[in-house]
Amino acid sequence: MARAWAKEDAVVGRQGRVTGKIGPGLVGEVMIPIRGGVEAFYAYSAIQGEEIPVGSLVVVMDYHPPRTVYVSSASI
Amino acid sequence: MPIVAVAIGAVVAIIVLIIIFKAIWRVAEPNEALIISGLGAKAHNRDTAESLGFKITTGKGTMVLPGFQTCRRLSLDTRVSGLEVTCVTSQGIKVHVRGVVIYKVGDDFSSIANAARRFLDQQKMMDDKTHQLFAGHLRSIVGNLTVEDLLRDRDRLTNQVRTSSADEMGKLGLVVDSLQIQDIEDEVGYIDNLGKPNSAAVASAARIAEAQRNQEATQAEQMAEQANAAQIRDTEIKKRQYQGQVDQAAAEARQQVITKETKNAELEADRREKALEAEVRKPADAKAYERVTLAEAERKAAVAQAQAEAEATKINGQAEAEATRMKGIAEAEAIKARADALAENQEAVIAQQLAERWPEIVEAGAGVFGNVDNMVVLNGAEGVEDMLAKALTLGGTGLGVARQLLSTMNGQRSADASASNGKLVPVESDPDTK
Repeated sequence: MARAWAKEDAVVGRQGRVTGKIGPGLVGEVMIPIRGGVEAFYAYSAIQGEEIPVGSLVVVMDYHPPRTVYVSSASI
Repeated sequence: MPIVAVAIGAVVAIIVLIIIFKAIWRVAEPNEALIISGLGAKAHNRDTAESLGFKITTGKGTMVLPGFQTCRRLSLDTRVSGLEVTCVTSQGIKVHVRGVVIYKVGDDFSSIANAARRFLDQQKMMDDKTHQLFAGHLRSIVGNLTVEDLLRDRDRLTNQVRTSSADEMGKLGLVVDSLQIQDIEDEVGYIDNLGKPNSAAVASAARIAEAQRNQEATQAEQMAEQANAAQIRDTEIKKRQYQGQVDQAAAEARQQVITKETKNAELEADRREKALEAEVRKPADAKAYERVTLAEAERKAAVAQAQAEAEATKINGQAEAEATRMKGIAEAEAIKARADALAENQEAVIAQQLAERWPEIVEAGAGVFGNVDNMVVLNGAEGVEDMLAKALTLGGTGLGVARQLLSTMNGQRSADASASNGKLVPVESDPDTK
């Protein structure tokens, strides 16, 4: 049960929407559906130098507590 | 009875159970997290795989052992903190910024744990601390932006907020939901001046448009007025022309009438002249002729009469002249005879003359008495007569004196006459007049 609960709360692997531009020198923002709601996370690009504009779909590659995620563009 | 006791005992037991359950069972509401610490309250951080040392429960109930464990609640509600900062923009313009920041404790266990460690006993002071933290952040945020960015570029503003505050907020376990700038005041009028070019351009465009429309309207009005005036002028001219024609026709008609009348009058005058000639002149001529003839006859009669009278007068005159001449000759002879007689007896003539002058002599004699103031006559009236008689006799005796008196009087008279007649008026020969 604890396992399921943990899986439910996992951030990595989830899709999110960029609400603040991600790029070098910038702290981006993504909205990720989690825990029944939607929360905002600070986002950096998982690939060095990649720029992800506002409105793109991203996949969370890595999660750094408390609120930081590394994302990669989901749309090709 | 035992049934009742059993029932009561059961109720009491249930109540006791409820009370115990209430005492050890706590439920976390959706907006709060339960922080349970104490005996056996350990949980593993799923992401970091580290022990927290306390248990966090959200959105469900959990058992708390009274005495062995403590349970505290941490609110996950949104919090609002007002900001008011005076700072300088990247252009060096001093601005006064009022804003508001909306934040909350993060929903993940890491944030809750961080926040719980920092704020569990100071939840009321969280606003104050956040305010101080954000005042500093806002200052640096504004310092990286221009006034124009603050006003328009919301994206940059939020980006700056994230960039500057992400890590620190992470440390505190807080999440910034929103940062709003409500008001920007600058002391040098920069913001007002930003808008001025546009407002001036719009105002000038409005004025230009208004002026142009005014001009067009005025032009149209004036043209309409001109057209009206021209129309009125044409109408007036036509009216006058027609009026002139009418007047001319009337004048001509009147002229004809007058000509006719004049002719009539002339004819009338002729007629009257003829009539007068017939009625007055002819009779007058006849009468005049009659009178002339009569006057001629009268004149001839008068002339004849005058001639007759003159003849008669002449004859009478001659007769009278003859008579007068004869009479004169007779008188002359008489005078001559008398003169001869006088020459012969002068004394008689003088006496006669004296007699003629007697009153004057008496007057002269009386003049003697005129010089006497008081004359006392002793003999009364007889005395006066007596004296006068004596005086007269004295005069009579003094005939020489009388003669002398007369001669002097005559001389005086002739002298007077000669003086009046032959007065010589000397003609003054004035050399200046020549």
